[in-house]
Amino acid sequence: MATSATTHAHAAPQGFIRKYIFSLDHKVIGIQYFFLALTAVWVGMFLSLLMRLHLYWPNAVLPLVGEIKPETYLSLLTMHGTIMIFFVLTTAPQGGFGNYFLPIQIGAPDMAFPVLNMLSFWTTFVAFVVMLSAFFVTGGAPLHGWTGYPPLSAVQQAGPGEGLGADLWIGSIAIFCIASLMGALNFLTTTLDMRAKGMTLMRMPLTCWSWFITAILGLLAFGVLLSAGILLLMDRNLGTSFYVPLVVVNGQIMGHKGGSPLLWQHLFWFFGHPEVYIAILPGMGVTSQILSTFSRKPIFGYKAMVYAMLAIGFLGFMVWGHHMFMSGMSPYSAFAFSILTMCIGVPSAIKTFNWLGTMLHGRIRFKTPMLYAIGFVSLFVSGGLSGPFLAQPVLDIQLHDTYFVVGHFHLIMGVAAIFGMFAATYYWVPKMFGRMMNEFWGRVHFFITLIGTYAIFMPMHYLGIAGGTRRYSQYTEVAYMQKLMPIHGFMTYAAIITIAAQFIFVINLFWSIFKGPKASDNPWEATTLEWTTATPPPHDNFGGVTPVVHNGPYEYGVPGAARDYVMQTDPAIGAAH
Amino acid sequence: MADVVLDHTAASHGAAGQYEAPLFGAYSKKVGMWLFLASDSLTFGALLVAFSYNRLSNPAWPTPFRVESITNASIMTACLLSSSLTMVLAVFAAQRHDRAWTRNWLLATMVFGTAFIVLHGMEWSHLIHEGMTPFGNPWAPTVPQFGGTFFTLTGMHMLHVTIGVIYLGVIALRKWFLPILGAIWLVGFFVIPSDNVFHYGIHVLLVGLIVATVILFLKPKDYDAHDVEVSGLYWHFVDLVWMFIFPLVYLMSTKI
Amino acid sequence: MHDVAKHDDAKGQYFWVWGALLFLTGVEVWLGYRQIFVPVRMLEVLLMLSVVKSALIIAYFMHLKFETALMRWMLVISVCACFVIMYLFFFPDAGRILRLGVG
Repeated sequence: MATSATTHAHAAPQGFIRKYIFSLDHKVIGIQYFFLALTAVWVGMFLSLLMRLHLYWPNAVLPLVGEIKPETYLSLLTMHGTIMIFFVLTTAPQGGFGNYFLPIQIGAPDMAFPVLNMLSFWTTFVAFVVMLSAFFVTGGAPLHGWTGYPPLSAVQQAGPGEGLGADLWIGSIAIFCIASLMGALNFLTTTLDMRAKGMTLMRMPLTCWSWFITAILGLLAFGVLLSAGILLLMDRNLGTSFYVPLVVVNGQIMGHKGGSPLLWQHLFWFFGHPEVYIAILPGMGVTSQILSTFSRKPIFGYKAMVYAMLAIGFLGFMVWGHHMFMSGMSPYSAFAFSILTMCIGVPSAIKTFNWLGTMLHGRIRFKTPMLYAIGFVSLFVSGGLSGPFLAQPVLDIQLHDTYFVVGHFHLIMGVAAIFGMFAATYYWVPKMFGRMMNEFWGRVHFFITLIGTYAIFMPMHYLGIAGGTRRYSQYTEVAYMQKLMPIHGFMTYAAIITIAAQFIFVINLFWSIFKGPKASDNPWEATTLEWTTATPPPHDNFGGVTPVVHNGPYEYGVPGAARDYVMQTDPAIGAAH
Repeated sequence: MADVVLDHTAASHGAAGQYEAPLFGAYSKKVGMWLFLASDSLTFGALLVAFSYNRLSNPAWPTPFRVESITNASIMTACLLSSSLTMVLAVFAAQRHDRAWTRNWLLATMVFGTAFIVLHGMEWSHLIHEGMTPFGNPWAPTVPQFGGTFFTLTGMHMLHVTIGVIYLGVIALRKWFLPILGAIWLVGFFVIPSDNVFHYGIHVLLVGLIVATVILFLKPKDYDAHDVEVSGLYWHFVDLVWMFIFPLVYLMSTKI
Repeated sequence: MHDVAKHDDAKGQYFWVWGALLFLTGVEVWLGYRQIFVPVRMLEVLLMLSVVKSALIIAYFMHLKFETALMRWMLVISVCACFVIMYLFFFPDAGRILRLGVG
């Protein structure tokens, strides 16, 4: 049977534009995604800083933005969530690192559809520009939160940001959906069709598995959001009533009737919950990779890790209702959603214990990537433990509109995923740019960030249990919430320090890219295919040859081997297995 | 992009043994199209969920489709089904390397597809003339969802059929299709009266023309049996979606 | 080598499938007029026929019947699972709206 995998005969492109802007090379596209996400994360972080400042000093007049009115606060909240989730958590781990390293790690010269890959990046870029433009139109950015619940999001007159700003917001998300679909379909085809000889599915590094499963989720989830977005745009601009019942705005009856806001919630969360796993799964893959490499031990339970990720992906499609316990639903559905949600704890626990088992008795090298991977496990556990609380409708109804939920999802899908990205950055920058990152400042950055994020998000749990409601712009007017203000103060100071520490990261990154010490081909003594090729990799990844794989991805500490690790391409132990 | 040679097919003969066998036993383009269709079916699935939801929560759903409408829709269905058959024959002809018949069968498919679009467009114009809009209809004033779901579902499907016809045209005639498409767009624009929604809707063809021009000039190639088969997959999928829209939208709203 | 499937000899079966699809469409229209079934049952019957029709299209016209078993099952199961999940949770909810009379 002849393979259809392709030898990409395209020559290395000449000229600046073809080489760096409209490049078809998956490595350049990966770096483009990486810097797009880096830009987006700074925008998102700046918005969160404004929110935290406003929460503790509600009447302060800030430089550059002036006084923050309640509707401005809601705009900040909406844009922070949307930018972070779509343009950082979805873009960087999958589009950035996935694009760069998936083909290399499976031994392919490029993605299956390079043109589609380029289109996918530039579509994402357009979506980002459209999203940012919502700040600058009349009325400003929308108010409806990243979930965009109607009727607020579906009626133009519902608020100051709900005019053109909300249209741009929905438009941007629809464009982003198309970009993600193109990306996902490319990732899947590449993994299915372009693995090098010997790279069977069960020899793929766990990073590749995580990108593969993420792509499945993206493929099946983003189409639904696209439809939901189209219907929302029609409700807003053509006067249809898919989501809008009879509503009265400022004493004026709107033309809609008979629609159901619950329909949007179902469609949105059918996408929205898989989206959570789209954000976190690549982090899990990277963490597995790094923990194994720096513990100098094979990953504990490789197959269990793969099946756990598949189970998480599968269950991820069946639990979206737990976001809607407050909205009201059939008790039978609520019961099923609750049980299924708690089931996700099982594969998550399998992964956690396998990570711990990997480190146990390992000869651990505490380099910066390893620290971040351990940080990921820590945040994953502490953020995940509040999950089973929220999975129960009875508790959820109490906690849902409080800071408890904010703390929960920031720890597990926000900061944990970001820690996965940090780990990936420190781990792969030597391969991507050919220079090592500074170890000392990396550690400083790690410890401030780890302690800082815990200081920001842990108190939110107590705040929530004490009744601190979320999405309000001011807590100074309510008597019982005034007593909670010191907690807000603590979180605000912690946020300022943590955000300041991110300058260390950016300076370290850019300084290392240009001035760092040159990296060898395999600085971490890792085994996967990207470390067999030159640093940085040549245009076709392996310099004209196609690697042949003989071993699994995590052959560390092999008895009888010359070194304590065996590369995947090394035939040394291939015969024995 | 001319010097970027992406050789997907030559490798399938020469580079055997360098890679693992593809998991799905198919060439990349076909796998890619199947995956796209999986995702697109969920896009339509979500629209159908929206339709069902509104339908269930509005018991006073109108049933306005008279015999003429149902007959028209049945003919449209027959057109799509027959176009699928001609598409299969085109794929066979392409596999025999019979270029003339590949083109002929593709053109037949396009004719059936165009007939579908025209019949459907007339149906739309008729309904709009009777007073149906996305936000209301004369038969059940309390259920504005009837018009909304109808126009969304069938409009989305009509868009897919239009894209499909352009896609097949590019495969069948390559750059000779561009003037034909341009001519259809201009004729349509001037012939359709300006109070008709398709007077503006026909500009979809202009967008299609621009995209097709860009593709054909950036990457001129001779489309082979693989390309015909992949375009066939898309076309059959469009046919398949209609198999759900027809009973749900039309037959469940028959005026007895 | 499974690059372009060779089933040219069995061309006749596609005409049969085409005929079956037309026939099933006819049955659907006939059912639409005879009103043998009450609305919800009618929906079920029509959807059942549609599923049969789409299965025919996927299996024969789209050639899935002749692809590898893995591709067949992966694609069909993943998409079907999504639909089943979507509707499984959706109907008790939508039915609840109907019962409560919120419109």
